[in-house]
Amino acid sequence: MRGIGPLCGEGVIGMPHGAKVWQGGLGCEMSVWKYITQSRFWKSIYRNPYPRDRRTRAMVVLNSLALHLHPVRVPVRATRITYTWGLGGLATWTFVLLTLTGVFLMWYYIPTTEDAYWTIVKLETGVMFGSFLRNMHRWAAHAMVIAVILHMTRVFYTGAYKPPRDFNWVIGVSLLLVTLLLSFSGYLLPWDQLAYWAISVGMEMGGATPLIGKQVRMALLGGFEIGQQTLIRWYTLHVIFLPLSTILLMATHFWRVRKDGNISTPVYEDDDEEKRRAVERRRQARG
Amino acid sequence: MATDAQRSQATGQTDDLLRTVDEEELKPVHVWPRLVSVELIGALVMTLLLSIMAIFVRAPFYRMADPELTPNPSKAPWYFLGLQELLLHMHPALAGVIVPGAVLVLLGAIPYIDRSKKGTGIWFYSKKGVPITIFSAIYTTIWNLGLIFVDEWLPAGDSAGIAPWLKMHGFSDAFAEIFVPIVFMTFIPFSLWVIVRRRWQADIRECMIAMYTFFLASFFVLTIIGTAFRGEGMALVWPWEIPYPPHGKE
Ligand code: HEM
Repeated sequence: MRGIGPLCGEGVIGMPHGAKVWQGGLGCEMSVWKYITQSRFWKSIYRNPYPRDRRTRAMVVLNSLALHLHPVRVPVRATRITYTWGLGGLATWTFVLLTLTGVFLMWYYIPTTEDAYWTIVKLETGVMFGSFLRNMHRWAAHAMVIAVILHMTRVFYTGAYKPPRDFNWVIGVSLLLVTLLLSFSGYLLPWDQLAYWAISVGMEMGGATPLIGKQVRMALLGGFEIGQQTLIRWYTLHVIFLPLSTILLMATHFWRVRKDGNISTPVYEDDDEEKRRAVERRRQARG
Repeated sequence: MATDAQRSQATGQTDDLLRTVDEEELKPVHVWPRLVSVELIGALVMTLLLSIMAIFVRAPFYRMADPELTPNPSKAPWYFLGLQELLLHMHPALAGVIVPGAVLVLLGAIPYIDRSKKGTGIWFYSKKGVPITIFSAIYTTIWNLGLIFVDEWLPAGDSAGIAPWLKMHGFSDAFAEIFVPIVFMTFIPFSLWVIVRRRWQADIRECMIAMYTFFLASFFVLTIIGTAFRGEGMALVWPWEIPYPPHGKE
């Protein structure tokens, strides 16, 4: 076990100076690791030692931007896979992957009807990891849609939408909508037959809106037919507006999870029922 | 056979029908490392699976967009194929705008219809929750499939389907394409609600479970039919009969 080095940071970061734990075969490497973790620079990033006890485990959550979205402690069941299936977290993570791979795609993609298709061809054939990252972007997009639908289903069947989480459910429904729109708006961008005709099916549906169908179609297409104006509209929605909306909604969603008392825990009685029983108990106590 | 509900009505104790959670499960633990490690593993597994998929399965990419060449069949992405399936059975305003709009509004309304806190955080709520879910899923699936088959094969002169049949018998377009589909789409959940209330003495939460299951099962059935059982001209076919790649796309 001794040799595993930095993986076992547990033994190092929190250790008092000169601790004798790491004097094994890799002693040299270990002292480099120690040198790093005890440097001023490192300590300016991680204020607290490696979390090993109650105090430091609380500190690590409170002092880290990413972790402080969590409470310091949660009921055991909230950490069980079979309660949340981690689906909200997976939806978040696929969004991160999509952002990273998406930035890469943006380096090569040109949103004009002449170039769009050929930039994808070039990306697939002439760019290192181009094909891999495009595939990843596509499959992660599908994964995100699936994760969000499953997450909603988990929340529903565990009754986690009940007050005080009622409004967070509504925010969730908006997240479902923007997730679908994000995925759909990306569909047009490769400008191949699949993209073009999938979008035209979508446009026909939007154009069927009662009363304002023509206007809706016009707004979605930016003209009378799918063309340059349509591409640039969906491109800007896909790379700026919808991701920003998603981030904003996610931030609100996470914040509400905390404000609503963290992950749902079992409630066995209604407010009304609780009151009725309290009254009954008092009456009995009086005799 | 006395149902749980009947028994509990007789004894006046509905509460012990509620599923319970082991007290042990409520003990607090530190997020670090208990939850953080689960999250990290989840993210790693997800990344790994997506990477493997990205290495072995190419994202679809066909010939350049050609407005002159309509692929057959011409389909939306899979998550909209449920709606595209509806499009085959009713007026486009209904299938493309009103139904999805209503679905979003009704989904958002769930916590405002089912307002009690009882059952929060409990999988399937009560001992009736699972049977109601299974029943609702089967009931919905049978209705959906039945209507799809009838609408595909009901002979109506030269064509086939419920709307053409109605029109052949002198009903107006609006009646056949708007009114009748709305009647079906409200009757199925409504009848499910009534059945669940009668059979299980369901409370609001249990009725809600039936309604959400209706939504989810419909989404599943319509999406699967739209994805895997619609071929050229959107005719009902076996999955292996769908031209691949679709004509006009390769
Ligand atoms: C982009 C989409 C979404 C993301 C990234 C997201 C993320 C999360 C995360 C990380 C949690 C913490 C617990 C968990 O993982 O289950 C959560 C909880 C919750 N989400 Fe979402 N969510 C999304 C969409 C939705 C949707 C579509 C709904 C419902 C319509 C929803 C309703 C809720 C509710 C009510 C909670 C609190 C659950 C509880 O306390 O047990 N969310 N969400």
